[in-house]
Amino acid sequence: MESANRARKIIHIDMDAFYASVEQRDHPEYRGRPIVVGGSPEGRGGVVATASYEARKFGIRSAMASKRAQQLCPEVLFVRPRFDVYKDVSQKIRSIFRRYTDLIEPLSLDEAFLDVSEDKLGIGSAIEIAKQIKQAIRDELQLTASAGVSINKFVAKIASDMNKPDGLTFIGPSGIEDFMEKLPVDKFFGVGRVTAAKMNGMGLHTGADLKKLSESEMTQRFGKVGRFYYNIVRGIDNRSVQPHRETKSLGAEDTFQVDLTDIDSMFTELSKIAETVEERLRRHGLKGRTITLKVKYHDFRIINRSHSFTEPVDDYETIITTVQQLLLGTAPEDHKIRLLGISLSNFGESRPGRKINPEQLSLF
Amino acid sequence: MRFIVTSTALLKNLQQISGVISANTVLSVLEDFLFELKGNTLTLTATDLETMMRVQLDVNDAQGDGRICIPSKILLDYLKNLPEQPITFSINEQDLSIEMSSDVGKYKIGGEKADDFPKEPAPGDTTSFSMSSIALIESINKTLFAVSNDTLRPAMTGVYFELMTDSITLVSTDAHRLVRFRREDVSCPQQDGFVVPKKPLQQLRSTLSADETRLELSYNGSHLFVTNNRLSMSCRLIDARFPDYKAVIPADNPYRLTINRADFISALRRVSIFANKTTNQVVLDINGNALQLSAQDIDFSFEGKEMLSCQYTGEDMKIAFNAKLMIEMVNNMDGGELNIELSTPTRAGIFRPVEKVEHEDVLMLLMPLMVGV
Repeated sequence: MESANRARKIIHIDMDAFYASVEQRDHPEYRGRPIVVGGSPEGRGGVVATASYEARKFGIRSAMASKRAQQLCPEVLFVRPRFDVYKDVSQKIRSIFRRYTDLIEPLSLDEAFLDVSEDKLGIGSAIEIAKQIKQAIRDELQLTASAGVSINKFVAKIASDMNKPDGLTFIGPSGIEDFMEKLPVDKFFGVGRVTAAKMNGMGLHTGADLKKLSESEMTQRFGKVGRFYYNIVRGIDNRSVQPHRETKSLGAEDTFQVDLTDIDSMFTELSKIAETVEERLRRHGLKGRTITLKVKYHDFRIINRSHSFTEPVDDYETIITTVQQLLLGTAPEDHKIRLLGISLSNFGESRPGRKINPEQLSLF
Repeated sequence: MRFIVTSTALLKNLQQISGVISANTVLSVLEDFLFELKGNTLTLTATDLETMMRVQLDVNDAQGDGRICIPSKILLDYLKNLPEQPITFSINEQDLSIEMSSDVGKYKIGGEKADDFPKEPAPGDTTSFSMSSIALIESINKTLFAVSNDTLRPAMTGVYFELMTDSITLVSTDAHRLVRFRREDVSCPQQDGFVVPKKPLQQLRSTLSADETRLELSYNGSHLFVTNNRLSMSCRLIDARFPDYKAVIPADNPYRLTINRADFISALRRVSIFANKTTNQVVLDINGNALQLSAQDIDFSFEGKEMLSCQYTGEDMKIAFNAKLMIEMVNNMDGGELNIELSTPTRAGIFRPVEKVEHEDVLMLLMPLMVGV
């Protein structure tokens, strides 16, 4: 128990506009231009995976429909993602991390937590390590990263986002409670726009407002995550950096401002979510055998429906046709739907080049 | 309304229909049993909107006809924990309160309105035929295992009932294998066909008693109704065209292998342990009257081989199958000896028992695995 209470040193590294920066690095003609890596706005219309900083000035953001991005900035250039290249760069970034620590928890290709409470080189200062990592990424890969340094994962992650791009933010033990009190609720991890609106409606705007509530009030209002928030606003987050954490499922969901009642709008929302899920799967290089649809009704009842395939899948078409079928099986128009979510699980290793599996022949 | 019933009798009847209730349901009333009292007859109903099962039993000291929905889980839990004894149900349909008193205590449950319970589909314009309970169970047993779970191909998630004036044929397939089971002791008024989902068939299999009790089966364009004197089930049919199964059954597979069924299954079970876990590939290498089964998993350096004797007429050949599918098929077959009819390593193998059971005809098809494309 002692060691758990000892102050840890956690760094969160987040690559700046990762895919877009890699493209700009490799294609000088893209530099200084607004570019979007992601699906093209034509056809079924893709989503933005990453927008370059030039594109962000126009209000273009990740997970936005590419069509919308084009409306915001007609001269934006759409670039097809090259996931193999990103994966390769990501491996190089991780090898830089490994010079300092083995306690690395990658969150995706462009983000990771590092526990440097004890660093391999005996540098001692987490800020200094973060500086060196940023410098190495710049020198060796010609890319920039932002770092957040703190005593837990939650604060480190928020900190890395504070001075982007190319930032380094340190929030030490003495500043942590003050920092959390000033933090607007929508910056809290897991608080989406609907929960944020709900909190604002209750007069809760910042960490300080949340801090006034007791633990039981928090759980009453927000369910299980309430306890998490209760601790977080007090600077307590004991989650460890897990180097071998296996991704068990991956997905996306959206809560709607207005409950959905007709099938057309449900399908529209599902296709947006499916786009995001496809993008995230590619980002993590994962394929799943099981697709799960989550439906939350206006009375907060949640149902899950899933379908499993014999082969792992990751493509939009399969995901959307499957979840549409699953949704149709729930008598969707009889209910007001508050939230829809799609996730994939049952990840098989998709081992490229090793597909010598015999083919099961079919009758039909 | 009020009645007295023996706890174990009620439990037994509820358990016959409770399998219909789905674990995660959308409407809370679907977690309930519908209790309907008319005279001395208590009718119990459970449904998941697709399938509805109903059972009747006689009760004592009935007073006042009426209807109410009672939550299933709490009721079953209570009854399972009660030694056999009479229970008095006193039900107030106005405030939906249910009181159960037994020798040992008094228990209360809040019910739901009977009118909220889904209505049974109207039988309307149906065609009927009859068969014995055991014949239906046997037909389900022979076919249900090969039904597909692929909800994206709905027709194959059920068993196809093909009616003829002198027989009934049940067909199931998951696209890799197919089972055709025909009974010649059933006659239907006209040539017809429909696809019955898996769940109601599972229910019938577990609820019906395996005896000669006559069942009446009637159907229309959307539903199947199965009834005997005490029990009735209705289910929605799968609204999709069953694939043209006749077209995929090879008319003439020239080579024939005859083997002892039990020996073949046990050898397959052993060899398949060493097979790759995702493909379950087992190779049948037929050489004269010797059959070699072999499997391997390169990833783990597993390898298994076994020799069996058989009778074989045909050219020597090597053909690979998914052992899991094959074991399941051969396991669901009767008789001591088994015929496997083959043509080429990429065409379906036909599996049949050597001895025919009277009035029955069973044929199973399995598509091979194609190695190293």
